Amino acid sequence: MSTTPYILPEVPWLWAGLGAYAVATYTAFRGIRMTASTAGAAVSRSYEHIVLMMLVAGVALLGTALAVRWDRLGHGPFVNLFELLMSQLFSLGLVYTIVYWRIPVIRPSAVVALSLLWILGVWELLLRPTDSVLPPTYYNKWLWVHVGVGKVFLSLCLIGTGLAGVILLRAKPRFAHWFRHMPSNVVVDNLAWRFMLLAFVFHSLMLIAGAAWAQDAWGRYWAWDALETSSFLTWLALGMALHVRFSYKIPMRAGAIAIVVVFVLAFLTYFGAPFYSQAAHKGVV
Amino acid sequence: MKQWVTRLGSPRLALLGMALLAVGAGLSYGNPKTISIWVLVVPMALLAVNLLSAICTNPRINRRPGLLVFHLGLLTVLLLAGYGRLTHMDAHLEITRGAPFDAGTIHDVRKGPFHRGDLKDVKFIEGPFTVDYTAGMVRGLTHNHILVPDHHGGWVSKDIGDDRPLLVNGYRFYTTFNKGFSPVLTWIPKGGKPITGTVNMPSYPLFSFRQENTWTPPHGDKIKLWLRLKTGMNVKKDWVLDSDKATGTLVVKSGDKRVELNPGEQVRLAGGVLRYDKLTSWMGFKIFYDPTLKPLFITAVISVLGLAAHFKQKFDAVTRHLNVPEQGAGDGEAGYGKIPRGRAV
Repeated sequence: MSTTPYILPEVPWLWAGLGAYAVATYTAFRGIRMTASTAGAAVSRSYEHIVLMMLVAGVALLGTALAVRWDRLGHGPFVNLFELLMSQLFSLGLVYTIVYWRIPVIRPSAVVALSLLWILGVWELLLRPTDSVLPPTYYNKWLWVHVGVGKVFLSLCLIGTGLAGVILLRAKPRFAHWFRHMPSNVVVDNLAWRFMLLAFVFHSLMLIAGAAWAQDAWGRYWAWDALETSSFLTWLALGMALHVRFSYKIPMRAGAIAIVVVFVLAFLTYFGAPFYSQAAHKGVV
Repeated sequence: MKQWVTRLGSPRLALLGMALLAVGAGLSYGNPKTISIWVLVVPMALLAVNLLSAICTNPRINRRPGLLVFHLGLLTVLLLAGYGRLTHMDAHLEITRGAPFDAGTIHDVRKGPFHRGDLKDVKFIEGPFTVDYTAGMVRGLTHNHILVPDHHGGWVSKDIGDDRPLLVNGYRFYTTFNKGFSPVLTWIPKGGKPITGTVNMPSYPLFSFRQENTWTPPHGDKIKLWLRLKTGMNVKKDWVLDSDKATGTLVVKSGDKRVELNPGEQVRLAGGVLRYDKLTSWMGFKIFYDPTLKPLFITAVISVLGLAAHFKQKFDAVTRHLNVPEQGAGDGEAGYGKIPRGRAV
């Protein structure tokens, strides 16, 4: 039984960061509902500005939480679920904030993307902040490349899924007016697939870097362990989705569902596979 | 003929190949012995044929440099992966400290039918090791010191361990968690010549509670051996397993006789005298050979770069449409410009 206390030095920073994300999420919902009932794009922009500021604050606070933990334990957030979730909340937030800032057209989709981010946020709040020990196989430089491009992949997937969510929600009369300031579904669909295309590039790089790491760390570049199998299936699913999207005329809603399916597979790869297989990416005594 | 090649390169066949590969990948999870390698080979072969046909016949691929590089790269990766499995070798090995590598002692050998590597040219001598442990018996870094030829007829020390394998003639020797201790024993038979050897005890500290083994000397009775080790092991604190600092008392049991021996001591048994010379260590290695590793890596990276270049080219072509500022936004379409429903965005 773990004796780690709940209040470790990084925990207040984590809570503060999640608090900022909560304000950003609330403001995104409030903004979209307000602008749905009024016509002004300027009103929408003022809410978006608050969301952006809160996202920046959340990323900064979560970055501080990671730095404090890193300094305390002497290694990066690569091992247990608590630190993996914290790290993903930071990296997903960081990439999403940059895209939110640089590509204003996606901003209304924040209600979908930030809601998805809260799956991790709530999960993180339910976990005890246990310490971890870095296994010997995690000292390898390829780990950094693998984790880095993997985080970009998941972030791009999140953004694409947010846009796919807009297409699916627009089909419901109750939500259709929420996204009236966004371009047509044609444009949103196009943009969503762009992010999925980029996600495919980064997923491919993640597999390559992971294989290079596995060769160094375990003496084989591929062994169909839980994570390898799951991530390869995600890569194949994304590849198939892209193939279908760009080879055939498919309804936009079907395309949006395909994006959501890929995101679910990616989510299960990141947060499911490593925890139902003890052997996956773990050091052995 | 061309029609057939075009059909073989169709997107539908590509989708079928990918779906079959997904099924094969799912079945291959955990490398179950009941699943044939053909669940992967068949879809990969199908995809290779499909890729080759598509590259030859599909102008949407062969007239776009980035996409062409990506598909050629995928095809090469498939072929290299196949060639790698045909020429690879995996094996395990345990070497006692001070002993030279002996290709005849490898076990659990799995190799492709076209494996042509030669382990006879591999030379190194196993030395001492240290392994860091943190509280809770979590293994840290391994430092295994070996001697390798220095190209001048001598030997030079080298530190390997974990993700720092020894690379010789394309073979990679990785240290493993499997390591332990061995009593060096000399058996002096009645009227015969003494023989000296080691008996490897089970992996330490994984089996710290069961450091036992048996040995039957020539013309003697079976001997049971227990090793009582002092290594400084501490499950509650950080500690270092140092093969140089470990000591051990050997408990010998043969028939009704039970004796405890320290290094240098001996016992008379049926058929001869058993002397416990000293305590030494052994290290378990994993051996890996695959001549396609570097080409596979380089091809995969070039392939992805080709895909990225293709996307960049396409994105640049339509980006201006998305950056048009919002105007009016009444019907949800105004102001952003209309991006045609492109099939290859």
